[in-house]
Amino acid sequence: MENLGAIAVLLAFCLAVFAIVAGFVGGWKHNAFLAHAAGRAVYSVWFLITVAASVLVYGLITGDYRFAYVAQHSNRAMPLLYKFASWWGGQEGSLLFWSWLLSCYSTVVVFTNRRRHRSMMPYVIGVLMMTQCFFLIMNTFVASPFKMLAVGRTIQSVGDGNGLNPLLQYPAMAIHPPMLYLGYVGFVVPFAFAIGSLITRQPGDEWIHTTRRWALVTWLFQSTGILLGAGWAYAVLGWGGYWAWDPVENASFLPWLSATAFLHSVMMQEKKGMMKVWNMVLVSGTFFLCIFGTFLTRSGVVSSVHAFAQSSIGPWFVGFLAIMVAGTLYLILDRLDYLKTESRLEGVISRESSFMFNNLILVAACFSILWGTLFPVISEWATGEKISVGKPFFNRINIPIFLFLLFLTGVGPLFAWRRTSLDSLRRNFQWPLIAGLVLVAGLLAAGMRAPFALTAFGLCLFVAWTIVAEFYKGARAVSAKTGGNLLAGAYELTRRNQRRYGGYIVHMGIVVMFVGFAGSAFNMDSTVEVNKGDAFSLGHYQLRVMDLTSGDNDNYAWNRAAIDVNKDGTPLGLFYPERRFYKSGERQATSEVAIRRRLNEDLYLNFAGMSDDNQRAVIQAYVNPLVSWIWIGYYVLLLGTLACLVPSKVRLQYARTKVLGVKKKVYAPAEK
Amino acid sequence: MRPLKSSLLVLVLATVCLAQAPNPLSNPHVRRLGDQLMCLCGCGATITSCNMLGCSHSKPARERLLAMVNSGESDSAILAAFVQENGVEILAKPPAQGFNLLGYVVPFIGIALGLAFVWFVIKRFRKPLAVAGGPEIDDAAYASYQAQIEKDLEKLDR
Repeated sequence: MENLGAIAVLLAFCLAVFAIVAGFVGGWKHNAFLAHAAGRAVYSVWFLITVAASVLVYGLITGDYRFAYVAQHSNRAMPLLYKFASWWGGQEGSLLFWSWLLSCYSTVVVFTNRRRHRSMMPYVIGVLMMTQCFFLIMNTFVASPFKMLAVGRTIQSVGDGNGLNPLLQYPAMAIHPPMLYLGYVGFVVPFAFAIGSLITRQPGDEWIHTTRRWALVTWLFQSTGILLGAGWAYAVLGWGGYWAWDPVENASFLPWLSATAFLHSVMMQEKKGMMKVWNMVLVSGTFFLCIFGTFLTRSGVVSSVHAFAQSSIGPWFVGFLAIMVAGTLYLILDRLDYLKTESRLEGVISRESSFMFNNLILVAACFSILWGTLFPVISEWATGEKISVGKPFFNRINIPIFLFLLFLTGVGPLFAWRRTSLDSLRRNFQWPLIAGLVLVAGLLAAGMRAPFALTAFGLCLFVAWTIVAEFYKGARAVSAKTGGNLLAGAYELTRRNQRRYGGYIVHMGIVVMFVGFAGSAFNMDSTVEVNKGDAFSLGHYQLRVMDLTSGDNDNYAWNRAAIDVNKDGTPLGLFYPERRFYKSGERQATSEVAIRRRLNEDLYLNFAGMSDDNQRAVIQAYVNPLVSWIWIGYYVLLLGTLACLVPSKVRLQYARTKVLGVKKKVYAPAEK
Repeated sequence: MRPLKSSLLVLVLATVCLAQAPNPLSNPHVRRLGDQLMCLCGCGATITSCNMLGCSHSKPARERLLAMVNSGESDSAILAAFVQENGVEILAKPPAQGFNLLGYVVPFIGIALGLAFVWFVIKRFRKPLAVAGGPEIDDAAYASYQAQIEKDLEKLDR
């Protein structure tokens, strides 16, 4: 049993190497037998990694403490969910989880394309298996999860394990890493198809059509993972916030930004045959950022409070990244002739140019976050002096960039393809602009003085208005034609063009999230040391400590406060913030915060611990306005993305410019 | 009985006062300064936002900030004192001077270069396609193609 996992991973590595060779040689020599064998090898790799993963998970659940990984990351007292989550709770297990997810994706790709893309698929398999091979090298030779505890040559077992990091023992955290991994690993597929397309010198954009849904689904996983992480930080870390611009948070955000840029720019290639080189750069960049994020998280290059699995695997990632970047650059430069644009821009103010600006700002945001994350390392290298780049730096640089992006979210979709007339601009933007400005004036009159929050609220209304107006105009036209009501018209409108209107819903989700982000300008907090019966207040809230209790169970000991809360004299009931001290491992403390969530604000209570003299409880109270809108915005984004994934009722075909002949008369397009 | 009641009242009041002993963070000036200084315990938060109980860095730093604010020292003098003691690392934003200026300007230089590139792309790709050497087409065919183009392009906006 103890050798089965290690042998399965080793065999999977051998088969992955075979799949690479068979894929590339089969594709190059047009050898169908080899190409077919490469596909079969992918299935075998999946089977073997599944066996290995099953051995590890079985060990974690049954408590086989002969495995060093099990002893380090599981223990008897943990609930079953967290024993299972220990699979990705440490370095070795999470790398095996990467491998397993990648093998699942590869298997699905090979199966669903078994009768398609015959010339491209062997190379796609080759690229997928190159990545698989890299992770299997990690699993086999660098960070094996199947190392045994031994004294001399005798395998030993310990009585109980250290358990999963207590901060990770939270339901959202059990699914946050898988979601992010699904998002990270998933982008290997569009990347592999892009490389396959380059190798086979495909002039078209078949790879884009094949991978659009992959890209969208993996983007959704990334979004879900990031939001779950934010939700976890908010509910578990006890500091009253959800985003701190920590290097690990940034590492998860970078590929999301480049993937978002990619999802927009592919539309240019699909509809106009433009930005082909750029799409190659973006899809490759997103994949590289996924690998780079993992490197950043694990290598310890930058210090992070979230780095749960640091080690010396960094150089391996750098090596893999260097090989892949060099290969991709060579292929793009060598195949430039096949990536020529098929159309020309007809107007500066057009949907086409708005996509370019949108891409520019998304990539700029990605670059500025990457720059800020790495700047302490660069600065120390250049000057020898350590510096810190914290939240104030990132906010100063990124808030203006993201506000401009929000502005583009509103204006971009309203520009027409080809060109937009001034009349159309005025017609589309007059009322949203007035509404946004009136809101800003109203908020100023009400005493609000935070400039970024004011701008954000104004832009949110502006963008929301443009989106609602688009739905309204379309729904009115449809309902006039079909005789239904506006709601039925909006539904029918969306069904006819799922991607366009699903995209609008996603934009609305982003707007709703920005409302939540802007609310952070008005956060309030207070830290007090209190005894039973003591009272304190924060904003409109009056809080009284009714009881302080403590206790323990198999897994942890706890201190709990019962706090009676009133808002402007109205009783809101008792809240129970708790501090837990886990018994295993390093006896780490965690917070179980009590949150009263409302649309206008959250009241957030954290039992921070006992005072220095151990006589009083330290309670941290926060009032966080509008936070709930961030989570609501996610659900809107989820709905919009799902809408984009459903095929439209009407199959849309996009015409491409093709020169059939020349006419002496100069072509003058008809006036709109 | 009265002295006992008075003593109890004093005790209760003292407890309440002790419970609400001035916390440095209840001073907005301290909070503002603390937001400009990093906690160096490794938590990645500022001195104001570090919520680690009994933190070896943020707790004494807050108390020191309160003392310096109460003694009437200027913000710049307070920050300079912290930098002198802990190095530039304590600043949440690196000072915008010398090499660190690059930290602030490079993202915006990147955006400027990107804008220039987009402008170049727009200018370049607005040029008409080179179609020399193609066969000539007659008016009827031209009109039908033009109608088809308009029809197809209309679909793009649907």
